[in-house]
Amino acid sequence: MSHPVEAYAAPRDRLDWPLRVLFPLWIVVSTLIVLVPLYLLFMVSVAPGVAIFGERPALVVTQPTLRFWGRVIERGDLWLPLRKSLSVASLTTLGAILIASPGAYVIARLPARLRYPLVIGLLVTRMFPEFAIGVSAATRFARLGLVDNYLGLILAHLIGSLPFIAWILVGTFEDIPWDLEEAAAIDGSSRLGTLLRVVFPAAAPGIAVAALFVWLYSWNEFLYARLLTTSQNTLPLQVFQAIDRGTKQQMAAVASVLVLPILCVVYFLQRYLRPGALAGAVKG
Amino acid sequence: MAARSHSQSRVVSWIRKHRWEIGLISPLFFYVLTLTLAPILDSVRLSLTGPLDGRFPSLVNYRTILGSDVFRVAVVNTVIVALLSISLQLGIGLAVALTLHARFRFRGVVRTLMLVPLGVPTIVAGAVMLLLFARSGYLNAILLPLTDAVSSVLGPAWRFQPLSWTVAGGWRTLATVAIADMWKVLPMVTLIFLAGLQTIPDEVNEAADVDGATRWQRFTRVTFPLLIPYLSIAVILRAIDAFRIFELALVLAGRVEPVLGTYIWNRYGPPTNDPFTAAAASMVLFGVLLLFIVVYLRFVARAREAGA
Repeated sequence: MSHPVEAYAAPRDRLDWPLRVLFPLWIVVSTLIVLVPLYLLFMVSVAPGVAIFGERPALVVTQPTLRFWGRVIERGDLWLPLRKSLSVASLTTLGAILIASPGAYVIARLPARLRYPLVIGLLVTRMFPEFAIGVSAATRFARLGLVDNYLGLILAHLIGSLPFIAWILVGTFEDIPWDLEEAAAIDGSSRLGTLLRVVFPAAAPGIAVAALFVWLYSWNEFLYARLLTTSQNTLPLQVFQAIDRGTKQQMAAVASVLVLPILCVVYFLQRYLRPGALAGAVKG
Repeated sequence: MAARSHSQSRVVSWIRKHRWEIGLISPLFFYVLTLTLAPILDSVRLSLTGPLDGRFPSLVNYRTILGSDVFRVAVVNTVIVALLSISLQLGIGLAVALTLHARFRFRGVVRTLMLVPLGVPTIVAGAVMLLLFARSGYLNAILLPLTDAVSSVLGPAWRFQPLSWTVAGGWRTLATVAIADMWKVLPMVTLIFLAGLQTIPDEVNEAADVDGATRWQRFTRVTFPLLIPYLSIAVILRAIDAFRIFELALVLAGRVEPVLGTYIWNRYGPPTNDPFTAAAASMVLFGVLLLFIVVYLRFVARAREAGA
């Protein structure tokens, strides 16, 4: 401990020289791997027809056109699906937080021998193919007249998101010390008051991350939407339809609409998406 | 008497506490019970019901799918795609996380750029990869000039024939699915590893340096062992999604190469309309995934024991 830190400068190393050359190269290559596909998507959505065919489609569009965006917007392929996706995602997020956070709080306060089986049980329900849950749930929903309306899709998206965010939130509530609640109780706060004024505010960052994940899940969701929709598509279904029978540019334009809000949200929320907050909170 | 009334009041307060907590947990509990567990049990029952005679329990659905060539191909393809995409994700994700954890100029910018596609919708990843891997797609556009240079030296036999990777079948199509999945979740996997790297105190690395460890030794003997819990989280979470891969396989592999996810979809939908074998295939998929996770945990648990 008495030596100055400089004395510990990394020892000479056979990897030093190759790293000095390869490291910057690797940074550029890996950034390109991540970003080029997105660039291609936006580029194709404004590409005139001739630019994207042939053996060597150009990587740069010299004469961008908004024709395909115009066509997509005119045909009403955009606004109604956008409205449906936005409403369903937002209401699902609200519902999921309201249902999952009290439950997760209780699970987090259970003794370990009860907590672990419950948490693992939540994870195991995620291991079944969505299909195994979706088909049977969709049949029930059909019986209740929940096909082709917002409520049915919101309830379906809650199926997919509740186990997952309950699981994240258990981790969040575990980190909130009991002392905090005890202190509030000693000060004469009721249990509900403690929960609303002490515990949930302390858990707010974790709840926010969970909310973001639910929103992304619902915005992204395809299978339930497909099973429960006969008329009004959500945006992901609209993209699938464009893949199935649209032009490349239409597909790219609709896909851009689906991805742009997410890029903005992640860009602006990135400061709050610290790795630590996500450690137990991760889904692909 | 005092002790008894004390224990009584403890029991009462315990029950009261539970009443409050039962109230809080019941919405979640009943939702999961009625809309997750009940449908799962429904599928289990369906998979064990004879489609013609309604007999229960019956293994006829399992016998039907196990006798089908398409199903066997789907199982093998699922395992190939899942293992390939998990190894790609973890390998590249770890490399990117180590990079972003290092100190270099523009790190903030690079980190922002690399994490922005976090949460790209699956169907968008599919659309993007269709642009990349089509016959007049951008992978061919990049490969052609490169191979032209090679063939001008080594002769025309080396000239690359442009192909549509998604309909070529075999490993090419499976690789497009795995690469699409890798690209979609790379930011997420990177974040898990970054979280792990941030838990390693600087002192540990300094101590390794003091002991004269090379970079490689520091990685294999210090950093990597300390990352194993995060690796396990990443493997399990990614395996859950990779084995159940559906949308990407539907969009990219379509009818060329079935995986279990699309096999189930095709059995259920028209023209087959057979929920019974679809449910049986779902259970097989669950079994394959469970087997993978159990084997992984055994293997890693043992490796860690041996290491300790």
